[in-house]
Amino acid sequence: MNMETPVIELRHVDKHFGLLHVLKDISLKVYRGEVVVILGPSGSGKSTLCRTVNRLETIDSGEILIDGEPMPAEGRKLASLRAKIGMVFQSFNLFAHMTILDNLTLAPVDVLRIGKKEARMEAMRLLERVGVADQARKVPAQLSGGQQQRAAIARALAMRPEAILFDEPTSALDPEMISEVLNVMTSLASDGMTMLIVTHEMNFARKVADRVIFMDDGMIVEESDPEAFFLHPQSERARDFLNAVHSH
Amino acid sequence: MKQTSIRDLLYETPGPAARKKIRVWTGVALAAIAALIALIVRQFAETGQLAERYWSFFAKATTWRFLGQGLLTTLEAALTGAAIAFALGFTLMRGKLRRNRILRGISTALIEFTRGVPTLLFIYFFFLVVPQMGWKLSAFWKITLPCAISACGVVAEALRAGVNAVPKGQTEAALSLGMTETRLFYRVVFPQAIRFVIPSLIAELVIVLKDTTFAYVVTCADLMQNAKVLISNYDAMLSVYLVVAVIYILINYLLNKLSDVLAVRLHSPAERSAAA
Ligand SMILES: Nc1ncnc2c1ncn2[C@@H]1O[C@H](COP(=O)(O)OP(=O)(O)OP(=O)(O)O)[C@@H](O)[C@H]1O
Ligand SMILES: [Mg+2]
Repeated sequence: MNMETPVIELRHVDKHFGLLHVLKDISLKVYRGEVVVILGPSGSGKSTLCRTVNRLETIDSGEILIDGEPMPAEGRKLASLRAKIGMVFQSFNLFAHMTILDNLTLAPVDVLRIGKKEARMEAMRLLERVGVADQARKVPAQLSGGQQQRAAIARALAMRPEAILFDEPTSALDPEMISEVLNVMTSLASDGMTMLIVTHEMNFARKVADRVIFMDDGMIVEESDPEAFFLHPQSERARDFLNAVHSH
Repeated sequence: MKQTSIRDLLYETPGPAARKKIRVWTGVALAAIAALIALIVRQFAETGQLAERYWSFFAKATTWRFLGQGLLTTLEAALTGAAIAFALGFTLMRGKLRRNRILRGISTALIEFTRGVPTLLFIYFFFLVVPQMGWKLSAFWKITLPCAISACGVVAEALRAGVNAVPKGQTEAALSLGMTETRLFYRVVFPQAIRFVIPSLIAELVIVLKDTTFAYVVTCADLMQNAKVLISNYDAMLSVYLVVAVIYILINYLLNKLSDVLAVRLHSPAERSAAA
């Protein structure tokens, strides 16, 4: 049994959208350095789960803890816990009116109170790392989708987060750009970044995941290591899901 | 980088047939305008409006200095009024976007009130009621404040439309980076919102400028008021109104041009930062 404090912990989280019960008694722990991949059919609640972790969605009941600290409903404390958890969105969500460089320095300067100059140097280093340093002075609309998503990952990294959430980071990308983003994520994983990833990229999931969580209908149906999950799924629903995916 | 204008986005480039059609209709329109002007001039000539005494005083420097002073007051009142309208409108917009029900209700009521009441009523209020309440205001403020109040509700709604047009993902990204709602509003949402609404804001500035022509009610020496003085001095109504109308048209035309320039500039921050 693991005795250290998880970076992310959900305890019996429930959530409804109106009458729709989208998260049903979800409990989940993500430990430092772990890569957890969430799989499941469309509408099973993966995005919602991901978004509740940093409270972009409110929850009805249960508890969310970051580094052992309960996530409050509002206020500065909430903001400072959010700052510890990066998030990468399907639609990138880079700040449209700013250059890529300013996208990376805004929050470090504003939230972490890092000096402008230092923030810029750090930003350039990160842009270098994800391979878009030459785009630093452009605005997001001037970049390809793949470049934007890599810049968005760099923006999350600029906050020196304890963990990063990814909600289908490659779903809005053309096929030839998917691998450049997945490569960046793979290298983050091997550098020991804690990651919670929602994805439909099965090969990638199998390669980087330390643990796979299979969701269906708002519940965690299965939780296992990737080899076990992909080779010997325990539940009927997971088998159906994998068959459907592989028949594509 | 090539600038694309709104027109480019809305219409495809005309082909040869369309171009021919455009040429024909341009010709027809120009002919119609020329005919109209000819008609007006003839009418003027017949009624003696072209007589020298109605126009000769425009050769005097004092006439133009007098009109210029009025114009300056008009611009001052319009710009001051617009600035106040922006400040009030911004505050009301913030209020209406609050979660707090009471603040939201008050802001909504004030927005509807200022939008619903004609400017002239506010002017009469400042002209007749405010002095009775013992608040001594100069003629300048008696015209500027009501014009500002009359515009602030529209400004608030324009700003709110802009804020709502900023994609939700922008806010979510800023929240996920640990920014507070206030900070992200000023750094992320509002700078984008203002770009969307610059044309409506300039349009509102034009309306404020036109509203200041009510200054005669409070005898503030704006362009319109000074024009009236000229009219009574020289007994020349038509010529003076014509000249003053042209001045107003020119100013408003320039404002609209400014709006186009600003819209293009603000839409390309990359070029700005590259130049910096
Ligand atoms: N803001 C919302 N309001 C109402 N219902 C919502 C909202 N967001 C999601 N839902 C519903 O909640 C359920 C779970 O949605 P969610 O986006 O979490 O699924 P998902 O597993 O991420 O699906 P996908 O693979 O298609 O992204 C769906 O039935 C969806 O229609
Ligand atoms: Mg989803």
